[in-house]
Formats: sequence, structure tokens, C-alpha cells
Amino acid sequence: MFIEASPYPWPYDGNLSAENTALLVIDMQADFVSKGGWVDQQGYDIALTARAIKPLQRLLEAARAVKGFTIIHTREGHRPDLSDLPENKLWRSQRIGAAIGSQGPLGRLLIRGEKGWDIIPELYPEPGEIIVDKPGKGAFYATDLEAILRKRNIRNLLFTGVTTDCCVSTTLRDANDRGYECLTLEDCTGATIFANHESTLSTIQTTGGLFGCVSSSGPVIEALRQLAQRQG
Amino acid sequence: MIRLTRERKGPTMATISSRPYAWPYNGDLRAENTALLVIDMQTDFCGKGGYVDCMGYDIALTARAIEPIKKLLQAARQVQGLTIIHTREGHRPDLSDLPANKRWRSAQIGAEIGAPGPMGRILVRGEKGWDIIPELYPEPGEIIIDKPGKGSFCATDLEMILRQKGIENLILTGITTDVCVHTTMREANDRGFECVVLEDCTGATDWGNHEAALKMVTMQGGVFGAVSDSEQIIRALAALPQKP
Repeated sequence: MFIEASPYPWPYDGNLSAENTALLVIDMQADFVSKGGWVDQQGYDIALTARAIKPLQRLLEAARAVKGFTIIHTREGHRPDLSDLPENKLWRSQRIGAAIGSQGPLGRLLIRGEKGWDIIPELYPEPGEIIVDKPGKGAFYATDLEAILRKRNIRNLLFTGVTTDCCVSTTLRDANDRGYECLTLEDCTGATIFANHESTLSTIQTTGGLFGCVSSSGPVIEALRQLAQRQG
Repeated sequence: MIRLTRERKGPTMATISSRPYAWPYNGDLRAENTALLVIDMQTDFCGKGGYVDCMGYDIALTARAIEPIKKLLQAARQVQGLTIIHTREGHRPDLSDLPANKRWRSAQIGAEIGAPGPMGRILVRGEKGWDIIPELYPEPGEIIIDKPGKGSFCATDLEMILRQKGIENLILTGITTDVCVHTTMREANDRGFECVVLEDCTGATDWGNHEAALKMVTMQGGVFGAVSDSEQIIRALAALPQKP
């Protein structure tokens, strides 16, 4: 089975099944898409990241209808004692007036267990879905994501979430170097600056698909429906 | 311009002129805690008959980094105790470390990894096209990291070496800006290394991607670190204790 995508029908070899594919929903946390969260506190327009919510709701619904399909959510955040927070990351956040660990309208910014750090209610993980907590931009570093994917023999990854140029792209690059076949969904992602969103999607498609392919929720939902139908 | 930043940390701390902040963030720039990273200056990426040339891209866009890096290396080699690391992207001759999709994509655009090209088998270790260009060839004592991916940390001993040496600051140069340099910078940033990328010592197969990649670094107060150029770094290196 192939999904309509650019620059080639995805996955490259048509080997797409419920068992070998996972949906990655990256950092759909209040800190990145909601009023009072970390991104909002930095003064960015959260409409640019919140745009991913509605398409993701429809996509999650379709993915949940496929038996045995792996759904993984990630959350960026740090331990309350900040022992996993690099000094320069803290310094930079202080410099722009949104220090990680400081008090914000939704609790301490980017701290595990706080309200702003958690996944928004509209997209909250259901039982059986995997949550990966990560201290960095990439979801592979200092996490058990790779161990989980290898164990399940996952080889195709669907990329969604925020932000396109930061956490989505870093995780995409991590995954691509590890040989995963990746598809990024343009309407299920978003960046704090729209031009960065677009250039990230452009980079993915250069050189015949440097980091895989780009598609949108429509064709992916159609493929998920076909997988569900095959299961009867 | 080197600036003494007494207000930050210690009396002799220096930063360089860079954006969006003077790098490194804490002013702790010393030979002992800093490494110069020269990424993938291989014939396959910037030479005639190499991989990038075979794909039909204009190698002038990647080769632009050669002269500035040459000058930078000259200055770095004069500094007592500075770590210099070169990387090379490439695969084992049996292709056992080549992901099937990476091979497939390269075949799609007519430059299949492992296939014979004008400079030997494309992107295969030991071949002529795979090696670092003579102008920038590593000198004895400089470290070479062979990597199978775009990032220099994945499936290599780079992190182990940096930790062992107590490196905190990374100066990133090489090609291509939006692919191997950026992937390595993101890996390094997540690991807590303080990174600066030099705009004249990098290059991409597409100029717009080069510029966009540099801009992304400066987002959110420096989401991946800072951007500067070779002139600033050479000045800072000249101010550090030199070899006798």
C-alpha cells in the first residue's frame, strides 16, 4: 500500500501495515499550543502551532480504529529539580523572559507534572498509547523511544505535532539516520514562524526525499481506513 | 570582535560577536573546552565527480566553504590544546550499515550509494570520492569520525570523545548547512553542547536552504545556539595561548 506524498509515493517500497507503522504525535502540550503556555509566554502567535489540533483529532480517530496500530505521544519537559536541564538551555530561556522552571500562568514552564507541560485534552493519549517524555528537542535522545520502536519492529513513522522546524524536524532527522521511513504531515504540524514551517517541509523533499516524504492528513486517513477495513 | 565579559564569569572570559547572542553564553571560551568540527569536506560533497556533482547540483555552493575553512584551520592549528575533529559520511564496502531506504532514494536520483562513479564507489569508505579533500586534509593528532548518517553523533564515538576531553563548546563548519551540519548541531544542542555555526564556512546545495538553516538557529533566543563567521572565530583563536 502506498500513500500519496511528495517527492514519491510513501513508503518507498509500499510495505505499509498496521504492525510496522507508528503515528508519532510530538509535543502537543499546552506549553506549545495554548494560551499561557511557554510559546505564548515568549510572545509567539499560538494560532500557528494550534492549527495542527483539528487535523490531528481526525487523524487520531482514524488511527485508533486500526487494531494493533502503534500511537506514540511525546512531551518535552524537565524534572522538577532541573537536573536534566542543560545550563545553556536554561540561560537562553531566561534571556527571552520565559525561564524554564519559572512560574507561568499554567504552572512552572516546561516542568513535568505541571498543567502547561501536559498534552492538551483534545488530543490526550488513550490507554494503550505510549507516552515518551524527553528532555530535548529530539525524541530519541535520553529516551527509550528507539528501544520501543525496535521491539515492535516498527519501520514506518508518521510525523505530526509541533513545532515543525524544532522538535518535529530534530526527531525526523534522528529517525531518518536510524533508517526509519518517515512521512511528515503538513497540516498536522506547525511552527512559530510560518516561513520556517515551509522551509522545513522543503528541505525534507530535496534530493529525492532527503528525510522522507511530505503529505497531509487526508491521504493518511484514507490509508488508515483501508487498513481498518482489511481487518474487518 | 572579542569582548571581555567580566560581568559574566571570571576576569578573563571572552565571547565572540555572533547572533542572537555573544557566544558562548557563559563567556567560558578556552582551548581546553572547545572543539572545531569540520563536517564532511569530502570530494563526494564539494568536488568534481563526487556524489553531489553526480546528482546535478552546483558544487560551487558547497565548495564556497573551502577557502574560509582553510584559513580557520590554519589559525586553529596554532592554538595550544584546541581539539580539531573532522567527519566523513560514508558506508562500509559491504553496505551493511546502509539503510535500505537511503540506498533506494539515492538510486532514484541516479547516484546510488555503492555504485561506481567517476571518483570510485559513491559514498563508500576507502574510495577516492569519499575522502576529505587535500586542501583540508586532517593533520596528525586531529580526530576523524566516520559516520553512516547525516548526524555525527548517531552510531559513532563522537560523544564519548567530547565528554572525555571535557569539551563544552563546539564550532561547527562544513557541509551541507541544512543537512549534515544542522543534524549534527541539533544532536549536539540536545546533549547540552554550546554551539556556534559559521556562515561562511558552511554551504548547502540550495542557497535558500542555507539561509533558512542559519535563521532557524537564531529563533527563540538561539534555539540551537548562535551564528557567526570565520573572521570572528579567528580573532578569538588568536587571543588564546598559542603553540610555542
